[in-house]
Amino acid sequence: MDIFKRLGWFFRREKKSYMIGIFSLVTVALLQLIPPRIIGIVVDEIETNSITSQSLTFWLGILAASAVGQYVFRYIWRMRIWGNAAKLEQLVREQLYNHFTSMDSQFFQKYRAGDLMAHATNDLRGLRMVAGGGILTMADAISVGLTTLLAMIFLVDWRLTLLAVFPLPLLAITSRILGRKLHLRFKDAQASFSQLNDKVQESIQGVKVLKTFGQEKEDIEEFKIQTDNVVAKNRLVYKIDSLFDPAITLIMGVSYFLTILVGGILITGNEITIGDFVTFINYIGMLVWPMFAIGRLFNIIERGSASYDRIENLLREESSIVERDGSIETPINGNLDFDIKKFSYPDDETVTLQNVHFKLNKGHTMGLVGKTGAGKTTILKLLLREYDAYKGHIQYGGHDIRDYTLNALLQQVGYVPQDNYLFSTTIRDNIRFADPTMPQSVVEEAAKLADIHEDILNLPNGYDTQVGERGVSLSGGQKQRISIARAIITNPELMILDDSLSAVDAKTEESILSGLKRKRRNQTTIIAAHRISSVMHAEEIIVVEQGTIVERGTHKELLELDGWYKDMYQQQQLEQKLEGEDI
Amino acid sequence: MEQQETIKNKTMPFKQQMHVLKRILKYAHPYRFQFAFAIGLSIVLAIINAILPRIIQVFIDDHITPGAATLSTIIFFASLHFGVTLIRMVVWYFELYIFNMASEKTVKNIRESLYTKLHSLGMRFFDQTSTGWIITRATNDTEAMKDFWNVFLTIMQGVFGVVISLGAMFFLDASVAIWILLFAPVLLLVIRFYQVYSSKTYIEMKSKLSSLNTKLAETINGMSIIQQFRQERRLQKEFEETNQSYYDSRYSMVRINAILLSPVINFLYTLAVVLILAIFGVNALQSPVEVGIIYAFTSYANDFFRPLTRLMDSLSLFQDGIISSSRILTVMDNEEYVPEQEDNPDATIEIGKIEFKDVSFSYDGKTDVLKNINFTVNPGETVALVGHTGSGKSSIINVLMRFYDFQSGEVLIDGRSIKEYPMRELRQKTGLVLQDSFLFYGTIKDNIRIKNDQIKDGEIIKAAKFVQADQFIEDLPGQYDAKVVERGASFSSGQKQLISFASTIVRDPKILILDEATANIDTETEALIQEGLNRMRKGRTTVAIAHRLSTIRDADQILVLDNGRIIERGSHDELIASGGKYKDMYELQNIGLQLS
Repeated sequence: MDIFKRLGWFFRREKKSYMIGIFSLVTVALLQLIPPRIIGIVVDEIETNSITSQSLTFWLGILAASAVGQYVFRYIWRMRIWGNAAKLEQLVREQLYNHFTSMDSQFFQKYRAGDLMAHATNDLRGLRMVAGGGILTMADAISVGLTTLLAMIFLVDWRLTLLAVFPLPLLAITSRILGRKLHLRFKDAQASFSQLNDKVQESIQGVKVLKTFGQEKEDIEEFKIQTDNVVAKNRLVYKIDSLFDPAITLIMGVSYFLTILVGGILITGNEITIGDFVTFINYIGMLVWPMFAIGRLFNIIERGSASYDRIENLLREESSIVERDGSIETPINGNLDFDIKKFSYPDDETVTLQNVHFKLNKGHTMGLVGKTGAGKTTILKLLLREYDAYKGHIQYGGHDIRDYTLNALLQQVGYVPQDNYLFSTTIRDNIRFADPTMPQSVVEEAAKLADIHEDILNLPNGYDTQVGERGVSLSGGQKQRISIARAIITNPELMILDDSLSAVDAKTEESILSGLKRKRRNQTTIIAAHRISSVMHAEEIIVVEQGTIVERGTHKELLELDGWYKDMYQQQQLEQKLEGEDI
Repeated sequence: MEQQETIKNKTMPFKQQMHVLKRILKYAHPYRFQFAFAIGLSIVLAIINAILPRIIQVFIDDHITPGAATLSTIIFFASLHFGVTLIRMVVWYFELYIFNMASEKTVKNIRESLYTKLHSLGMRFFDQTSTGWIITRATNDTEAMKDFWNVFLTIMQGVFGVVISLGAMFFLDASVAIWILLFAPVLLLVIRFYQVYSSKTYIEMKSKLSSLNTKLAETINGMSIIQQFRQERRLQKEFEETNQSYYDSRYSMVRINAILLSPVINFLYTLAVVLILAIFGVNALQSPVEVGIIYAFTSYANDFFRPLTRLMDSLSLFQDGIISSSRILTVMDNEEYVPEQEDNPDATIEIGKIEFKDVSFSYDGKTDVLKNINFTVNPGETVALVGHTGSGKSSIINVLMRFYDFQSGEVLIDGRSIKEYPMRELRQKTGLVLQDSFLFYGTIKDNIRIKNDQIKDGEIIKAAKFVQADQFIEDLPGQYDAKVVERGASFSSGQKQLISFASTIVRDPKILILDEATANIDTETEALIQEGLNRMRKGRTTVAIAHRLSTIRDADQILVLDNGRIIERGSHDELIASGGKYKDMYELQNIGLQLS
């Protein structure tokens, strides 16, 4: 019941709506009592021959009126209560979404995308059940249960009522117990299904390997083991699931048995009329649902509150990246001074960066090379303020980057990440991601600089071509160039290419780099790369190894140094030529 | 893919729906007796439901009203009612259980058929179809079939309930029952209305939910970009709109349900009660009427209307089921099979001589990606394929592995057409090492054995030693039994390569096909890989897409490919001597070295 308190903010917000809804529910509960009673009365009048056309018309009139009334109030409560449930789902989904967008990268490492999606779908559904089904069940069970019970006692006979409803609490208990058991077994079944999912996913992704080794038959056998497992787990589910209706039948059967027995005796003793008896039997039928629903209510609440726990946990997480009070709002400008004494990722003891120091003057280009995992991307992440906790400082134009507002810093940085993530929209909107109001001419200019304009024109719908999951599939090189265009378009003070030319050929790389050089004569650029050719024209190149700088200088100086850089350069020259790109 | 999209957004014509239904029902055929039994039980159930009010009616009319009820008759009727209820309980349980199990097994049947079908399809299918699409067909669409079969049960229960309660009313009093029949056209109208309006809104709601979730997933995946570009506000606003439009369509769904679903059924039921009371009441004005029959009639009216709410509610699931079925069937209908072999059981690969004679090949049947390719690889020799992306290197491997069928010319192994070898023989004797090594969930052993249980542990260790993968494997906790998580995420790409070498070598293929990785691997493993490649090549006929200098220089023959043709061929020394393109690039690279 705690969940209702925790969702209090929402119930208060929709107070009026819930009050109307619950009022309608109670009204329906009362109106529902009319038909059985009128059936009983008419039966009695017929039985005692006291029926007149007048009385018949009267009773039928009331009955018809109750039908109309029920319809109207049922409509109202459904709209209110189910509508509110949808509203709650919408609100919390929005809260979650807005919260996600304000979280730092640490958050997204802690919770994997799949988990977050699960919270935003399954847990929201659980919550909707509480606000809809939960409220409905509670209000309904109480109002229908209570009014029907009272009607049975006062309109028919209290002794009969006491005896006949005696087995009914069993309904609540049964539905609670069965519901719990079912839930556990259902979870097992779900787990077996997700195992099957994993299996299919892996085999389809690795289908080439399976074909290579000719192991299709064996793989099908393995799949069959999984489907058998799914069937076995679901068998356990059905064993319980199929019990619900029969269990209700049994308990109701006991009630009917008692009703016929005691009712029969009471009629013969002239204590109640036949009409009362008929009314009573109909009333008992009406009690099934509320009693059963009480049991279900507990399960809904249990699951809903677990869901809300998980959602609240997510909402409680805080980003470690915060803007300080009185942050500088003027956009970054000037020279970059990067001086990190020591940096470790949160919850990780290994030192990722140590004594990395470089100065980059406005208008210069710096190259960053080194093996995978040497720390290149980490350096860039610190520049982008993905992590704030380090020893040392990073200054831009003489001020610590942590003293700028995020807008002042990030809007002036054009970052092209390693994984070229494009959104499911048109190519145009992907390029002008930073500002969807930019005109086509600006988009085209950026595309031309990134050497992707021609490629785009060759696509079926040009700049209107949809990309991403449901759109055309682009090559890695095309995606990289679109990401470059996306970063160039804002004409950033600092441009960062994080190994973003790896999938384009040497000629294209050359043309993009020289284009950037021309366009960005007075702006700063950092290029991290595997390929030496991407950085060889930079004013300074630093070689990172195990989180620290091991070589630095211009291309010429580094070759003379005769170290890792030179080795790499020679090896790459050879291999690149042999791949025959110039043939 | 386009075809599937249209299926999703439009409702199919009735005829096509029935056609899909007929075809998907075939998968239920093995379980027809179970289904039939369950349906039989649901008829029994409907009959029992009709008997119960009769018991009370007879009790009232024959015993209570005449005032002739003794305690023993009362006990008799109460017990009779309870006894029938017990039977009802048992029948109901088995009806549900047997039907659900039959539908579960049908789903299993569909799944397995689909999966077997998938494995019979050629690489063309997998290259052209997104992995996600295939996975969804095999899992979610088949899972949706369960709800689909349940719809049938609901419909059946509904129809039996309606028919039998109507029959019982006719049995009791045909003149009154005819009046109840008046409701039938009204009901049909309501159902039709509901179906038309709800299915439209339902489809809209579902597609909005899916775009909502897509948007959410996309934001989570692209969060660093969004934050870097400071677009949080804008996307929040966009999401708000999508969220609102989903809410709107869910709200209209609530409205449609509120107008046309249970409230209207309940309304009609109460009107039916009015009608019943009116008829009996009017009759009673003229002559006495047995009152028990009134009870029975109102009770039957309840049986008549009650199942309709669920029936109508499940109509949308029926639509879902048809859509899922038709998607499953598109896979079943796919004919991009693995290239056919003219199996000759005697054909075995003994020495591993490969000949390409005038081979031309095209993926789409229009542009040839291989044009009149001729070359011979003698047993034990290595041929290196050199050329830029799109020159045809991978296509030669696709042809040689029989991933795709070639259009003209001949590919011979040991002098016999490649088409004559049974697929098993080909797969056993040719080992392909892929560029990006794929590891399966399981252990190291599992990944070397790759589902072939005939490979003994000893052979696995021997193979690992041979490619020098043993060094790092023996450092792992559990060694050869060490866990490999999804896609081998915990191993470096070099280690993954070594494991995949071992899985190739453990099968001791006569022919080795290498698709060398271009990505730079850390220097330490690079040396091991180089050495592993050399060892593997020894004594095997090798065709390699080569990126490593050592592989190229050691090759007995280098084929320089350009635009689907072999433009130069010979050994490294010969090519240098002949002064062609190969020499040009070799020189270029030497000059580059001298400059530095």
